[in-house]
Parts: sequence; C-alpha cells; structure tokens
Amino acid sequence: MDGFRVVRRQTPHRWIGLVVLPVALFVALAFCSLLLMIQDKSPVQAAVVLFQGGFGSLYALQDTMLKAIPIFLCSLGVSVAFRMKVWNIGAEGQFALGGVGATWAVLAFPGLPMPLMLALMLLCAAVAGGLWGMIPGLLRLKFGLNEIISTLMLNYIGIEFMRYLVYGPWKDPGSMGFPMTAMFPDEAIFPEVLGYVHAGLLVCVVAAVIVAMFLQRTRLGFELCAAGENPRAARYARIPYGFLLVFVLTVSGALAGMAGCVEVSATFNRLQPSLCTGYGYTAIVVAWLSRLRIPSIALFSVFVAGLLVGTDNLQVDMQVPAAFGGIVEGFILLCVLAGQFFHTYTIVRLGREQGGAA
Amino acid sequence: MEQKRLFQAQENGKAAPALIRLDRICKSYGSVRANRDISLEIRAGEILALLGENGAGKSTLMSILSGKSRQDSGTVFVDGLPAPFRSPRDALAAGIGMVYQHFMLVEAMTVTQNLMLGQAHGILNPSAMRARVLELAERYGFEINPDAMIADLSMGERQRVEILKLLYRDCRVLILDEPTAVLTPPEIDQLFAALRRMAADGRAIVFISHKMKEVLDLATEISILRRGEIVDHFLRADVPGERELAERMVGRQMDVAVAQSPVEKGEVLLELSGASFGMARELSCSLRRGEVLAVVGVAGNGQRELVEMVTGEAKPEGGRDSVRILGKNWHDFMRSRPDRKSMVYIPEDRKGLATCPSLDLLDNFLLTNRNGFQNFGFLDRRHSAAAAENVMEEYQVVADGLHATAGSLSGGNLQKMVLGREFFRDPCLIVAENPTQGLDISAMEEVWRRILDARDHAGVLLVTSDLNEAMTLADTFAVMYRGRFIDVFPRSDAAKVASIGLMMAGIPFGEEDGRKEQHHEA
Repeated sequence: MDGFRVVRRQTPHRWIGLVVLPVALFVALAFCSLLLMIQDKSPVQAAVVLFQGGFGSLYALQDTMLKAIPIFLCSLGVSVAFRMKVWNIGAEGQFALGGVGATWAVLAFPGLPMPLMLALMLLCAAVAGGLWGMIPGLLRLKFGLNEIISTLMLNYIGIEFMRYLVYGPWKDPGSMGFPMTAMFPDEAIFPEVLGYVHAGLLVCVVAAVIVAMFLQRTRLGFELCAAGENPRAARYARIPYGFLLVFVLTVSGALAGMAGCVEVSATFNRLQPSLCTGYGYTAIVVAWLSRLRIPSIALFSVFVAGLLVGTDNLQVDMQVPAAFGGIVEGFILLCVLAGQFFHTYTIVRLGREQGGAA
Repeated sequence: MEQKRLFQAQENGKAAPALIRLDRICKSYGSVRANRDISLEIRAGEILALLGENGAGKSTLMSILSGKSRQDSGTVFVDGLPAPFRSPRDALAAGIGMVYQHFMLVEAMTVTQNLMLGQAHGILNPSAMRARVLELAERYGFEINPDAMIADLSMGERQRVEILKLLYRDCRVLILDEPTAVLTPPEIDQLFAALRRMAADGRAIVFISHKMKEVLDLATEISILRRGEIVDHFLRADVPGERELAERMVGRQMDVAVAQSPVEKGEVLLELSGASFGMARELSCSLRRGEVLAVVGVAGNGQRELVEMVTGEAKPEGGRDSVRILGKNWHDFMRSRPDRKSMVYIPEDRKGLATCPSLDLLDNFLLTNRNGFQNFGFLDRRHSAAAAENVMEEYQVVADGLHATAGSLSGGNLQKMVLGREFFRDPCLIVAENPTQGLDISAMEEVWRRILDARDHAGVLLVTSDLNEAMTLADTFAVMYRGRFIDVFPRSDAAKVASIGLMMAGIPFGEEDGRKEQHHEA
C-alpha cells in the first residue's frame, strides 16, 4: 500500500538550502574517502591537506583568491546569460579573446601611464570578449542556431586564434622559441592591493555591483529576468526578446573577456597558451551551484578555487594522481546539484496523501 | 439525475453491473480544482461519452482512471472493490487502458514489435503474437499489416495499433481521448463500427469529445462536465437530436448576482471586415465603446486565431484594412501601439502567458506596466510598489503581500491581479479570453462585474467557450463555427439567442428543420 512519490513544491522551502549544502559536501567527501581508501591513503589526512592547502593559511587563502578572481568574473558573465535561460558555455573562448584584446592594447599603445593603460586593456578585453559572445547571439537570432553548440565551437576557434598569435605574429623574438609575447611593461600589470592579491579583485567588486544594479534596478535588467522566467509572458508583454538575446551574450562575453585581461596582466604578465586552463568551464559550474545569485557566486568562486588549490597540494603531498582533483571537484558538484533537487521537489508518502480514502 | 438514470436503465431491462465505479473523486492542481466530487459508473456493453469545454476536467478524470495521476480523495472501484492505482500499469492490470490523443508508439518498429513492448513476461513468442494480432484485427474489422513499420502508417492506422495494444492485453475498459480528431471520415466510420462491436462483446468504452454529432452517433450514455463537476448524465435515448443535446450542454442559466444592463455606446474601437488568419476565415464585425462582443463557439473553431490577429501576434491575411483598431489599420496600430488608453489582452493561460509564476506580484505588475515606471532606463520600484498595492486592494487580491509569487495565488486571485494590472493602463479595447475559466463562483462574479464596469470607457471583445458567461455579459453575440461567424446578432434578438447552442453545432438560424441536409464535420 505504501509508496513514495515526488511532488513539486508549491512554495520554496525556507531552510532546506542550509541543510542541503553541508549534507551534499559530506556525501561527496565520503565518496572521495572511499576512493582514497582503495589506494591505501588516509582519507582524514587527505581532507586535512585539501582544506589546509586551499584555506588553511594566509598564503593558501591568497592563492585561492588569485584563482577565484577570473572564475568569479567568468561566472558572473555566464550567470547573466543563464538568467535569461540562454546557455552560454563559451566563457573559455571569450576569456581567451579577452586576453588577446588586452594584449593588443599593450602592444599598440606601449608607454601609456598605468591607470590609462589598465583601463584601455580592460576596455579592449571587454570589447573582444563581447564581440566573441555576440556572434552566437546573432547566429541564433538570424539563423536559429542553437547557442549551446555555437558558443562551445567558438571556444575552440577562440583558443586556437590566441595560440596562433603567440606562436606567430606576437611571439617575442627574445623568448628563445617559447610561444609567448614579450613581458608586459610595469604600467600594464595590475598592482597588488591585498597581500599579493592584485587589483583584479577591485574589478570583480565593481563588476558585481554594476551587474547587480543592472539586474535589480533597470528596466532592461527586469526585462531580462522576466524573459528568462517565462519567454511566452515576455512576448505577451512585448519585451524585445531578440535584442535581449544578443545583449546578454555580449555582456556575458565582455565579463569573461575582462577576466582574460586580469589573468594575462596580473598572473602571466604576458600572453601565453597556458592562459586557458578551464576557468571558463569551472565558471559554468559555479554559476549553477550558486543558483545565479551574485553573493553566492562570490562564495562558490572562492570555494571552488580553494578546491583547485587544495587538490594541487594533494598531488604533491600524497602522490595521488592529478585526475583526483578533478574527481573530488566533480563529486562535490554532482552532490550539490543533486541536492538542489530538494529546493523544488519534495517526497511524500502515498498512504498519507490519500487521506485514508483507499 | 443519477437515480433517474438508474431507474430508466432498469426499465429498459439492461442494467449491466458496473465494471468501474467512481465515487466522489476530487483532484486539485495547486489551487485549481480540476475534479470535484465526481461519481460515475462505467458499465460493460455501454459507450459513455464525456462532453465538456476545454478545462472542464475531462482529461484529469481520465488520467485518474487510467492510473496516470492520483486523486486527492474519493475512490475508484473495479468490480465493486476499491482499486488504488499507482501507475498506468496497475490500471492496465485491472483491465483499463487508454488511447491518448498523441500516440505512444515506436515509429522505427513494426506493429507486432510495438505490441510486444511492455509485456510482463520475459519470454516472447512473436509468431503466436502475430497470429493473435491478426485475429483481433479481423474480429474488429481493422485492416492492418502486423509487419508494417509504424512510421509508414497513417494516423488512423496508428490509432488502430494503439487500440489493438489494449485489446491484446484484454482491456475491458477502453478510454479514448478525442479519437476522431486525427481521422478521415471513412476512418471514423470504421472506428465507430469497431467500438460498437467491442461494446457488444461486453467491453466498456469511454470517449472524450466535443463534437455533438459524434456523441449522438456513438454514445449510449452521456455525461456532461462543467468546471470540474458532472452537471448532467443521461441516456442517448433521452436526447432526440442536436438541439436537445445542445440545450443540455448549455444547461440551466446559473443564478448569478451579476446582471448586465446596456450602457451608452460610443465610437467604433475594433472593426473586422473580412479578416482571415489560419483557420479564422473572413470575419466581419465591429465593436463600440460600451459594448461587450461575445465570440462564442466550441473551442478550436478559430477563436485562437481571431485573438492572435487582434492582439498583434499574427498578421491578418486579408490586407491591412481588414482589421482596424482604434481608428487605425492593423499595421499602423501595431507599429505605434501606445501603452495607455490602448488595447490590453487578458489571456486564457494565466500562468503560462499572462504572468511569470515564479516572480513576485510586483514584478508581475511591472511586466506590462514597466514603461510607466521608468526614469532614464531605471525602474521606479517605490512608486510601482505603491501602485501595485493599490491595485491589489482595489481588486481585493488575497495574497501574502506584494512579494508573494504569482504562482502561489489561487486562480481567482491571480486573475483579479491580471485584470487590475491590465486595467491600470486605462484600456480602450479589452480582449478577454475565457476570463473565468477555472475560477470559483465568487471570483467569477467579481471578474464579470469588472468587465461590465469597464464598458464605461472601453469595448470588450470576449472570447469564450462558456455560454453562460456570454449570456451574462454580452451586448452582441458572434457565433463561431469552423473559422467563420455563423451569425452576429444583438442581445435583443431573443429568437437567435435561444438557438445559440444550435449555431455552435454549425446550424444557421432558421435551418434546424432541414438539419438532415446539413453536412457536419463527419
């Protein structure tokens, strides 16, 4: 007689979100512990190494913040598109193009004073990334091409374009054959503001505030959210869906492009192929985990960046394979995303739902 | 009514035992009560027709019966024993099977292979199965090649495969959801013959339809659903013809505390002269300020297309002057459509089209009023919140404040909110589509009163499949059948008003005696 059935919640649960996250983390870590035990490694020690490596000291925290900055900017970008249910998974390519745009500014206008130089680099990166994001928008608007496919494909093109530049026209003659541009002048490098965390952090704060204001206060931001919630209602209310489609992909690309700028400037001090290490994809995951809320994006960016740093430590200290880091990350994301099921659904026992009628 | 029917059935000496008995079935989706206290018996050898408007609860009832959804309360009895179905599999095991409007067949497989799908036993005997299929097909006059690919079959043939699937599993009760919608006239005849044969074999047939002629052709019993309730149940023999059936469908005028009295008419707001789009053909009528023009008809006769044309979703085919709105031709009006003192549209689909259910009431208020609350691209949330709160108060919207999500409101409250929101822009032309569908009586009266009051400054194009609603509100009626207006006439023409039911069945006024010559949708 008894059975269970999944029922959609009429109203979102108030405190379930607070429970889901810790439980999901616990389950994920339990899985990872199993994997470690198979390899005869102590899971407790691994957990200690993982979290100390990511968050356990001032150095660790600063390393984590450095990785969190580009992840946050990319994630903020994709979250804008995701809000309208436009699936931009091209942050990686837009990020690469941002690096290219910033480098172009440095190569074309050497000698500018620092504030001007940095502003110009950010602008060029945003324009390059934005245009790269705009292409799939226009393709979908004009030809109905699915943006998931086109943004993904443009990643490969964008990254190869960047590689072409550093292997070819932009290669530093003095680099002894390494594919990289010449070192940027000091004026083109984001200064350190907090420990050795660079001014990219300020870019994050400003971008977050502007995006939040835009979404909450402006008419266009409102239209964007409404169009994402119910495209039919948007059409009914005569919201310009096509324009918004191109617009969100452009903004999304511009933010990822700015992340590329920060990264070439502050982390590498030059353009080189190792710029693209998958932040653009991590950003998608972060956007999902945080359910598109900007403060949560910040928190999860730091959290995921910490995991990245921590698993690097794990490799060094415990001789686990490099892939293990990816596995830990994957388990955590899977569990948290699975747990979010309970935000919208609940499970009821059938016998009670029936009210004793059967 | 129930007792009367039983009595008559006994008198005719054919009171078969009920295979299925539904006892006070209730089912709600969120705040919408799709079925209320439905009690019904389904007997072997009978063909029961369920008649009702869209949203009357027919499909909900059938999905409960076929195990697809579960009732909130009430019991399904099979052979006199309670049968709590948890899945379509349980219902199938009890001998109840359903043929959906959209067939559930694997196109890349043959007829026999499709029949093999979902069999309980692990071991299959394709040749025995094939023989059984042929035997069943022959018995019911289905011409079907068991080795044909589904992809190569016509819709009619696919339907036969669906029916064979149920027969193969020895279903005693077959439920068909609008089975004739996809068929050609000869196929309909074949289907009906087969269904009669199945009933004669002691199976029970339940079919959902809104075509009166088919119901009269096939059914032996008829139930009429309205707003989730069975409002009438009678034998086919009790209704001699379409006129009587139409009368039964329309039912007694409800006692409502809303009465319309004409107000002074103003300028022409909407003028159709030979407007066509898709199914809607050559529509002509005009609507003045102070007038409610009710377009009535069975759903699916071109009302949707009419609304799309007037609201600007679809471009009229008959030239730019075939639709004139507020004194401008269609193109000019749509291009420069003003925000205020213009046209508003109250769609039937409140949660799918009129609102964003997951956003709060303020955001939903801003959805269509956003242009009135912006400064240099910024939204003025303070003033708009005050305005939205006024609207909620004025329209007595019961909700958990301005920040309740639209989806959490009951249908009636949400509809009042939508009305308030749209009326906020002082519209001149109001297009309302089944505005009270799914609402309870008090909300319905409130909405009706608002629509009548709006006549002071506006004209209302009311598109409805609820005749009671049209009778309550209309100054002018336009009856739509197969995309055309059969007739347009004022409320004062009592003789025509009395025969709206017939016109809805496609029979023009004054021709009911020559009904035999009429050709209907076969």
